[in-house]
Amino acid sequence: MAVRQFSAAPVVGTFAERLLIADLPDLQPQRRREVVAFIAHRVDSLPSFTRFGVLAIGSVFHLLLAVPGGWGVAKALMRLPLPFVSEYPRLMRSLGFAYVWEHWPSTSPTGADLEVSA
Amino acid sequence: MIAHAATSSMEADVLVIGSGAGGATTATVLAEAGLDVLVVEEGNWVEQGAVVPFSLDQMDQQYRAGGVTVALGMPSIAYTEGRCAGGGTEVNSGLYWRPPGELLERWRRDFKIRDFEPDDLLSIADEVETAIDVQLVPGGYSAPSEMLRDGAAALGWQHAEVPRWMTYPKGADAAKGERQSMTRTYLPRAVNAGARLVTGCRVDRLVLDGAKATAALTTLADGTPGRITFRHVFVCAGAIQSPALLQRSGVHGHIGRTLAVHPTVKLAARFADELNVPDDVPVHQVKEFAPHLSFGGSASNPGLVALSLLDQWSTFRQQVTDWKRMSVYYAAITSEGRGRVMSFPRMKDPVVTYRLTHRDRELLRSGLARLTLLMLEAGAQEVFPSFKGAPAVRTRRDVATMQQAFRASKATVMTVHLCSTVPMGEVTERCGADSFGLVHGLRNVHVNDASLLPTAPGVNPQASVMAFAIRNARHFVSTGGSRA
Repeated sequence: MAVRQFSAAPVVGTFAERLLIADLPDLQPQRRREVVAFIAHRVDSLPSFTRFGVLAIGSVFHLLLAVPGGWGVAKALMRLPLPFVSEYPRLMRSLGFAYVWEHWPSTSPTGADLEVSA
Repeated sequence: MIAHAATSSMEADVLVIGSGAGGATTATVLAEAGLDVLVVEEGNWVEQGAVVPFSLDQMDQQYRAGGVTVALGMPSIAYTEGRCAGGGTEVNSGLYWRPPGELLERWRRDFKIRDFEPDDLLSIADEVETAIDVQLVPGGYSAPSEMLRDGAAALGWQHAEVPRWMTYPKGADAAKGERQSMTRTYLPRAVNAGARLVTGCRVDRLVLDGAKATAALTTLADGTPGRITFRHVFVCAGAIQSPALLQRSGVHGHIGRTLAVHPTVKLAARFADELNVPDDVPVHQVKEFAPHLSFGGSASNPGLVALSLLDQWSTFRQQVTDWKRMSVYYAAITSEGRGRVMSFPRMKDPVVTYRLTHRDRELLRSGLARLTLLMLEAGAQEVFPSFKGAPAVRTRRDVATMQQAFRASKATVMTVHLCSTVPMGEVTERCGADSFGLVHGLRNVHVNDASLLPTAPGVNPQASVMAFAIRNARHFVSTGGSRA
């Protein structure tokens, strides 16, 4: 009875990675890829209606990032108090930050590994 | 492990759907009365200790949707549901509160629950407390718990250690407890009495023939469809999944229309010394403003501390490296708002919505302000409320500024207590089930979980759920399954 499901990674991956680069610029690329994979996995596990909504909003952001200057527009969109739209980057950040600090508690606010820095 | 894999064709005299606080107790009563009982659980059996409490790994293995579930609204409210053998009892805080006597009296009166004596229910609560070893910590408390206690004491506010369903080595500290969840207590009892427990089996819908359900259509963990035939069914899948299953089965009436929760807002408090406990929660709660408003402590692993700072990351982010000196606390309210659970064709999961009232929003505001004050009195150097635009709070004067800036729509609002989606009682325009959980209009479909609680109880609902489930199951046994 369930709607057939495809992977969320192509839709949410690019945006999640761009967001992590902006928020945590010093996060190692290998860790960033791991976090993006985790975010996509969690989006795949969402309840069906929520997942549909997340992918619908995610598609808009995904398309924006495909055009020149799209990231600037996306950032402006994120600042607007739009219902549900503003929840999307929040969801990406929540999942990403929870993963980063649970797995690497010695991470600086910019994503650097403080153990290595020390 | 006492659970087995489900097969595509099963039958039982009584099918119990769900193995949490409602399902496990129901199965135990029925099996010990000699009935042929089959318990089906959608999730897996996960041994205690196999996953770190409150970790992402635990959310993957023991929560529905990895713990990412939300009731849509302004603001949306994040909630969690256990999805494993033992249900929510495997993953919750383990704090035990009896239902208040005056609340039981109000439920009886307002919802016309017949043959219901609050004292009888509290006698059942006595039995439950023995069965799951409800007790106070014999040794010392965690530092985050002591902060709650000390802050409340400094303000002269009522506070108490909340007992837990835990066993402890003699004289041990709070961190040494072993939770006496359903996989340790009622599920083994049910199986010893002859019940069968199968995991990895989702019930998609019930097959109705007039006013009787005759079978359950299932999907096994590998995607294989299955069927279970039965004479009676108890739906104990929790306050979201129970009404959703009934709706998917074509059951109408007062189902899924009055979801009640305890919305919470959070803050992170930073103290002078290290105090963080990543894998446990404080045992103290502050009840000065109960039942409308309560304060307690949350799990505070570094990932969860980062989440508590997320709403104001631009100014709070430097704090994340100091997580060992931080702990997360919450203010919970008894909400007047209500939510809905709605199932749609071809959608596997229901849509859940929730609407806070104006009074709820103001209560969240004052709750967060009072909690902030309490943290300052407890010795917090700085407090970081979880809402967009929140200022860091260092003094009493900052509390007023913070309170002015707060909007519920800008806050991270969460809940773990979900109830009242199939309220019990004889007022048919308000109740989905009768006084013993039999769904109105049906002859052999019972609900026996948090869905039945007429309103949110203002305290952790597990004790209420277990006591009502045992009461209703005993009634079923004593009447031989009336109406079927």
